[in-house]
Amino acid sequence: MSSLFRGYQPESFFDEVFAGPGATRPHYGAMLGNIGSLSPDDYSALQRTVDAAFLRQGVTFTVYGDDKGTERIFPFDLMPRIIPQREWEMVEAGLIQRITALNLFLNDIYHGQKIIADGVVPADLVLSASHYRPEFRGIKVPHGIYIHICGTDLVRDGKGDYYVLEDNGRCPSGASYMLENRNAMKRAFPGLLHSLPVRPVDEYGTMLRETLAHLAPPTVIDPVIVVLTPGIYNSAYFEHCYLAKQMGVPIVEGRDLIMRNDRVFMRTTKGLEQVHVIYRRIDDDFLDPQVFRKDSLLGVPGIINAYRKGHVALANSIGTGVADDKAVYALVPKMIKYYLDQDPILPNVTTYLGVDPKECDYILNNLEQLVVKAVNESGGYGMLMGPSSTAKERADFAERIKANPRNYIAQPVLQLSRHPVFVDDHFEGRHIDLRPYVLYGDRVRVVPGGLTRVALKKGSLVVNSSQGGGSKDTWVLWEDRPDMPAATPPAA
Amino acid sequence: MARYVERAENFSRLLLSTQDLLLDAGAEGVDEAQFWQPILATTGDEEAYNKLHAKVRGKDVTEFLALRTDNPNSILNCIRAARENARTVRDQISNDVWECLNGLRLFAESDESQAMYHAQSALFYERVLSRSYEFQGIADSTTPRGESWHFLRLGTCLERADKMSRLLDTCSALSLEMSPHQEARPLRWAALLRSCSARHAFQAYHRKPDPRKIIEYLLLDETLPRSVASCIAEVHTALLALCGTGVGAQMPEPVRHAGRLRADLAYTTVEEVLATGLHDFIDDLQTRLNQIGDSIFRTFVLHANELPEEEEPENVMTPALGAYHTDQEEAAQQQQQQ
Repeated sequence: MSSLFRGYQPESFFDEVFAGPGATRPHYGAMLGNIGSLSPDDYSALQRTVDAAFLRQGVTFTVYGDDKGTERIFPFDLMPRIIPQREWEMVEAGLIQRITALNLFLNDIYHGQKIIADGVVPADLVLSASHYRPEFRGIKVPHGIYIHICGTDLVRDGKGDYYVLEDNGRCPSGASYMLENRNAMKRAFPGLLHSLPVRPVDEYGTMLRETLAHLAPPTVIDPVIVVLTPGIYNSAYFEHCYLAKQMGVPIVEGRDLIMRNDRVFMRTTKGLEQVHVIYRRIDDDFLDPQVFRKDSLLGVPGIINAYRKGHVALANSIGTGVADDKAVYALVPKMIKYYLDQDPILPNVTTYLGVDPKECDYILNNLEQLVVKAVNESGGYGMLMGPSSTAKERADFAERIKANPRNYIAQPVLQLSRHPVFVDDHFEGRHIDLRPYVLYGDRVRVVPGGLTRVALKKGSLVVNSSQGGGSKDTWVLWEDRPDMPAATPPAA
Repeated sequence: MARYVERAENFSRLLLSTQDLLLDAGAEGVDEAQFWQPILATTGDEEAYNKLHAKVRGKDVTEFLALRTDNPNSILNCIRAARENARTVRDQISNDVWECLNGLRLFAESDESQAMYHAQSALFYERVLSRSYEFQGIADSTTPRGESWHFLRLGTCLERADKMSRLLDTCSALSLEMSPHQEARPLRWAALLRSCSARHAFQAYHRKPDPRKIIEYLLLDETLPRSVASCIAEVHTALLALCGTGVGAQMPEPVRHAGRLRADLAYTTVEEVLATGLHDFIDDLQTRLNQIGDSIFRTFVLHANELPEEEEPENVMTPALGAYHTDQEEAAQQQQQQ
C-alpha cells in the first residue's frame, strides 16, 4: 500500500473503514486495495480533475454576502463511503417506519388531534411549534400525505449504532449532489464501481416524478408538474434546476404562475397551461402572501386556496415543519409506538427539552457537555457546541434559553463515526453523517445511498455545507461478502 | 444568450483582424485616433468609451472592448452575460451547451486568460472564437428544433446582421470621406473581409478586391452565411416558426418587418445601394433591425406577460421592475436551506 494511509489512526472513534489500526473492515477491502495502490500524486490529480469538472458543470452553490455572486463547488471527497447490505436493510426499514409515523402524526395534528386527546404528547408543546399552521387544520390533502420528500439525517455513535439526528420534512436539499457525486465516481473509479455490487441512485429523478404525479387530482391523467424555485439568486438554484431537468418538468418562479378560478396556471409562450402538482422549494412563509407573509414577492397569491380546494397539490404539504421542530422530534418514538404500535428501528438521540423545567435545569447545569440547538434552525445555525464553547458563549446561550425555553433543546455530544478523508497528501479521519432521501408516493421508497456529509475541519462535528462541510458519494451494496461479520446490532 | 456569444465572437474577430491590419499597415503615418475610431463605432459603444478615456488610443480601445468590466459590452462581460442567461434557462438547454458556456466563462475570468491577453492577445481572441464555434456546433447538434432552437438562431442572426452592417458602415465612411494612408486602403477592405471570416470565400466569389463587389457580397449575397441578407433570411424563417404565418392583418408584426426587409435585400442591387449612399442605406437598415428587435420584444416579452383575461387578482403586487428584482433577490436568499 502507498503512503496514502500510512499513519492513519482510527483513534477512539468508530471508524467506517478500519476496525482498528491496520484492520480493514471487510466491505472496504476491495476499495482499499484499489485506492491504496495509488500514489499521493495520482490521487490528488484525480481529485483535482473531479473538482474542475464540478466547476465546469456548474455543480455549485452561491455564496451569499459576496457582490460577485461567487459560486463554489460543494467540497467533495473522492473516497466513497460504503454501507453493507444488511446495515442498509435496517436503515431503510427504520426510515420507512419513521416517515410513516410522521405522516400519520401530521394528518392527526391537522385533523382530530387524537394523539393529544389521548395524552400521548403534550398539546402546548406541539401546538406552540412555530411551523404549526392552525389555519390549515381540517384541510384534506391528497392521500393524507404531508411529507412526500424527506431528507433524514442519520449519525453513528462511538459504537457504530445508527441514530436519527433530525428529520428535515420541509424542503430538504442535497439530492442533486448525491446524483452528481455518483457521476463523478463513475469517471474517477470506473473499475472499482464495476467490481463492487453498488446499487445505482440515478433512478431518483424518475422516482421523484412518480411520487409527485401520485399527488395530482384523480381526474387528471397526465398531470403537469413544476418545480417552484425562489429564483436564480437562491443558493440552491442549481439543485432546483437540476431536479427539474432530471424529471423533465419546467422550473418556475412565483411570478410565472397565475391564478384563475382557484386553479394554478403557468405562463408559457403558447399561453396559459394548468399546473397540477408543484414541487415547491419555497418555505411556507413565502408561499402565499394572501395567507402567510404579506410581503412575500416569491409566492403566488391564492395558491393555498387552490390547494385547499384540491385543484393543485403541493409537495411537501403545508405545515410539515411542526414535525421538524427539534422539540417535537423528541416525541417521534412515542408517535411510532402510538400510531404503529412498534418500537423505533432507528432510535432518537437523547434529547432534553428546554420547555420541561427539570430538563431545562439539567441543560443549564451541563452546558459544557451538551449540544444546544434552537428548535427551528437548520444548516448548523443557532447552536452551541458545549465542549468547544467559551464561557461567554455558554453564558449567552444560558440567557437565551432562560428567556425562551421552548425554543431550545439539548443533546449529549455524540462521538460521530469517522471516515478517511484526503488531506494534502494522505488520509485522516473526519466525522461524517448520512442523509438518505425518502420518497412517499403510492409507496415509500428510499434511494439506496444518499449524501454522506463530512466535517472537513479536523475534530469538527458540524457537517453542514454552510459551516465548512463537504460530501462523499455513498455506496450501498446489493449483497455483502460471505465473510462479513454479524451486523452491528441496532441499538434498542 | 446566443446574442451575447455572437457579440463576443464578433468583437474577438474584429480585434484580431484590426491588430493584423495595423501590423500590415505599419504604425508609421497612421493616425491612431482615426484608425481606431471606426472600430469603436462598429461596436456602438463610443459614448461609454468617451466617458472613460479622453483620447482614442489603440491600447485603451482594445482593453475597453476585451476585458474592461465597466464596459457592459466588453468580450468579458458578453461572456458573463451569456453564461448568466444560460444559467436562468439551464433547464431548457442541453448540458453540453451549458458546460461549454460555463467553461468559457471560467476561462474568461481566469488568471490564465488575463496573462494570455497581455502576453499574446491573439491567442486570447482565438480561444474565444473557437469556443463560440464550439457553442454553435454543440447547440446545433443537441438542441431540438423547437422554440429554444428558433430563439437561439434569432439571437445569433440578429446580432450578426447588426454587427455586419456596422462593420460595413465603417468602410463607407472610410472610402468616401478620408483616406489616412493611401496604401492602407485596400488593406482596410481586406481586413473587413477578414473581420467577417469571408476573405477566402470572397476570393472565390470575385477575384479582385473591388469595394463594390465586397459590399455586394457582405450585404446582399444570400450564399454567404454571415451576409446581412442571409442573416435576415434566417431571422425571417425563425420568426415564421415562432409566431406562425398569418396573412394581411393577421400577420404577426415581427414576421412582417423581417419579411419585408428580407424581400428588399433580395431585390436590391449594389448599384442602388451606392446610389442611396452606403451610409444612408445602412442607417435605414439599422432602423429596420431595431424595428424587428422591438417588435420581437413586444410579442414575446410584453404580450406573453399580458393576462388573457382583463381582471387581475387584487393582491398582485406590481412594483417597479428594478425594485422587484433586488427585493426578490433578497427574499430568494432568505430561503433557508435544510
